[in-house]
Amino acid sequence: MALSWVTVAWSAAISASLTLALVNLLVWARDRTSRSHLLFATASVANAVFGAVELGMLRANSPGHLAVLLRWAYLPFFVTFCCLIGFVRLYLDAGRRWLAWAAIGTGALSSVVLNFLSPGSLRFTAIERAIPVRFLGETVSVPGGVLNPWVKIGQLSGLLFLVFVVDAGIGVWRRGDRRRALTVCGSMFFFMAVALVNAALVNLAVARLPFMVTFTFLGVLLAMGQELSVDVVRARELARELRASEAELREKERRMSLAAEAAELALWDWDIPDDSIWITPGGRTLYGIDEGEKFDVARFLSALHVEERDRIRCLFEESVAGSGDFQTEYRVVRPDGRTLWIAARGAVERDDSGAPTRMYGVSFDVTPLKVAERELLQKHGELAHLSRVSMLGELSGSLAHELNQPLTAILSNAQAARRLLARSEPDVTEVREILNDIVAQDRRAGDVIQRLRQMLKKGEVQRLPLDVTELILESLRLMRGELAGRGVAVTTELAADMPVVSGDRVQLQQVLLNLVINASDAMAALEPTDRRLLVRAERDGDGGARISVSDRGCGIPADQLEAVFEPFVTTKDAGLGLGLAVCRTIVRAHGGEIRAENNGEGTPGATLSFFIPGASPGA
Amino acid sequence: MSGRLPTVFLVDDEPEVLKAVARLLRAEGVPVSAFSSPREFLDQVDPEAPGCLVLDMSMPGVSGLEVQRALETRGCHLPVVFLTGRADVPDTVRAMKGGASDFLTKPVEDEELLGAVRRAIEKDAVLRRERAEEALVRARLETLTPREREVLEHVVAGELNKQVAGHLGTVEKTIKVHRARVMEKMQASSLADLVRLARRVGIGPP
Repeated sequence: MALSWVTVAWSAAISASLTLALVNLLVWARDRTSRSHLLFATASVANAVFGAVELGMLRANSPGHLAVLLRWAYLPFFVTFCCLIGFVRLYLDAGRRWLAWAAIGTGALSSVVLNFLSPGSLRFTAIERAIPVRFLGETVSVPGGVLNPWVKIGQLSGLLFLVFVVDAGIGVWRRGDRRRALTVCGSMFFFMAVALVNAALVNLAVARLPFMVTFTFLGVLLAMGQELSVDVVRARELARELRASEAELREKERRMSLAAEAAELALWDWDIPDDSIWITPGGRTLYGIDEGEKFDVARFLSALHVEERDRIRCLFEESVAGSGDFQTEYRVVRPDGRTLWIAARGAVERDDSGAPTRMYGVSFDVTPLKVAERELLQKHGELAHLSRVSMLGELSGSLAHELNQPLTAILSNAQAARRLLARSEPDVTEVREILNDIVAQDRRAGDVIQRLRQMLKKGEVQRLPLDVTELILESLRLMRGELAGRGVAVTTELAADMPVVSGDRVQLQQVLLNLVINASDAMAALEPTDRRLLVRAERDGDGGARISVSDRGCGIPADQLEAVFEPFVTTKDAGLGLGLAVCRTIVRAHGGEIRAENNGEGTPGATLSFFIPGASPGA
Repeated sequence: MSGRLPTVFLVDDEPEVLKAVARLLRAEGVPVSAFSSPREFLDQVDPEAPGCLVLDMSMPGVSGLEVQRALETRGCHLPVVFLTGRADVPDTVRAMKGGASDFLTKPVEDEELLGAVRRAIEKDAVLRRERAEEALVRARLETLTPREREVLEHVVAGELNKQVAGHLGTVEKTIKVHRARVMEKMQASSLADLVRLARRVGIGPP
């Protein structure tokens, strides 16, 4: 049997269409979102079916056979037609929507409704004969019969398609994507036009040509396939680039993590809508979170010390709701029970609408710093205590006096009462007065002991609101005996509007007592009438208090005014020279400052004063 | 000797102590005059008033020892009982040298205080008696002639009439007359009595 070129050509077109369909179907199967591939596959399958029908028609040997095939050929044609329009809309995002619907509408009307309602098919109401035509060296059948007037609707839909494609092509061209405009829209226009002309020629039975629409559509499919394959290639390139940049990103991330680990920093990034926290491996170790364990805000809070949780939760909420930036320190309890101090800084990022999207920042371990800080504080406290004890030693006479007075009053009162009661008619009123006095004096002695105990105690440093005036008067009361013994007369000038300061009562009292003792020492060589000491208190700065102690001694050499606060600098025979150094440590720990000045022209002596900032509200 | 009751003058700058000690003394029936500062007391003190002073040692302004001295310069010889919160040795020594009658530490036991006060008042009375006697002797001494005074000095020195006459360049008989006059004027009942009276005003061997 001789080789049939017709069979070969149509079979080739059909298998080409099926191959294209298979390829695109596979692409779609891997990526369900690429609907243009699905459309393409559908169009290819439809074209293959159409090709098979066409081939059947060529081989048909009866008009009835031809008529049936022709009617059914409209279905795959219409499917391909719709797919092409859909492809343009979907893939190129071009073409007017109403034109697309108009072409599809008229297509559906003609190819489906009118085609199946008409006797015969859309093209011929009746096929009278199968016209034998010589084609590619063999004889094939071409239908011949009465033309259906409704075929005009089919031609209208073809024209609408052309207009739609031209419109879309112009749009794509204008968009600057000229290559696509030419390959997709141009090929569609060309092949559809060819198909229409081919059909028209067949209709008129002028050219005696068979239907070859399969080939024209195959041309369109090839042009589209070319376009899609370009996309596939580009997608592959993109994927490769993406992989490369991902690798680069990972490398960068690894370097950043290394740097962070080296700096002992934990980097973190909280995705707020997702509530998931990304953190460097070192960070996981820091918070005691296992690798692979889900890390969100609740897990983060559970890593904190119980006392910190509410505070940090509030801080996060505030940052997210408001300022955005934050800086804080908190304690973390590790699974092994160790408590770490961690400092963290962060910032919140927002989208265009201002909604928070993420919070990112760094955390680092400040435990050694905190420990050192606490040890220093403890050392300061110990030194202050030591110096206080030695100062109280110096003041022991005075303190004994302070205790002795009430004890003397109590004893004499009690003995007087005993004598009164021994009388035959005791004066009950007086005895009652005596008892009241005894109670009052006993309390006074108790107060002295209480104050002494506080001064001797090695207690935690406290920050409480203090009444400066009361502090001064109480300190001077403690010193009364000492000052009397030394023949020093004290004058006070205490401003009425003294602010409340925040501080440690015992330590500030220590500072004041130290200054008063020093001032008294400075006047030891003077005539008793010149031993006058002035204690002043006034408002200073923004709600702070300045307390000064002035003596009338011989002053301090100008080059020593700073040095007196250095440790082991002393002008006295007795004493370590720690008193003022400790005073300075205490005052600085209160956020204040202490200084020494000479009283200046005409007035002998020096003034030592210290400043304590006011108690901030809520402190 | 005046008929006034001996009074305890109490000076302490600590009002509660002043009140309590005053109560104790009054409960014992001792008249008390209380002062809250040495100045107040010095301004009001009557040098003639009998009794004693109970003085706090450490007070601002004037110290107890200074008060003691100030009293002397005012011719006030009240015995002083010192009260002190802390008894250091130098202070005690100075106070005793200054003629302190007693030195007590606070808190003070009633018996101790009352005993000291009684002793001081007693001492005051004795001193007052002695001072009165001395004044009397001085007045009698004033009545002697210069010659009789000379004779007195020699006689109380233990010389015999003959020795006195020898020293004064006269005869024994004249000395005898002078001596009888001296005994009479001085109202001495015996030589021993005369020697005692003379010593009271600082004449004769110590």
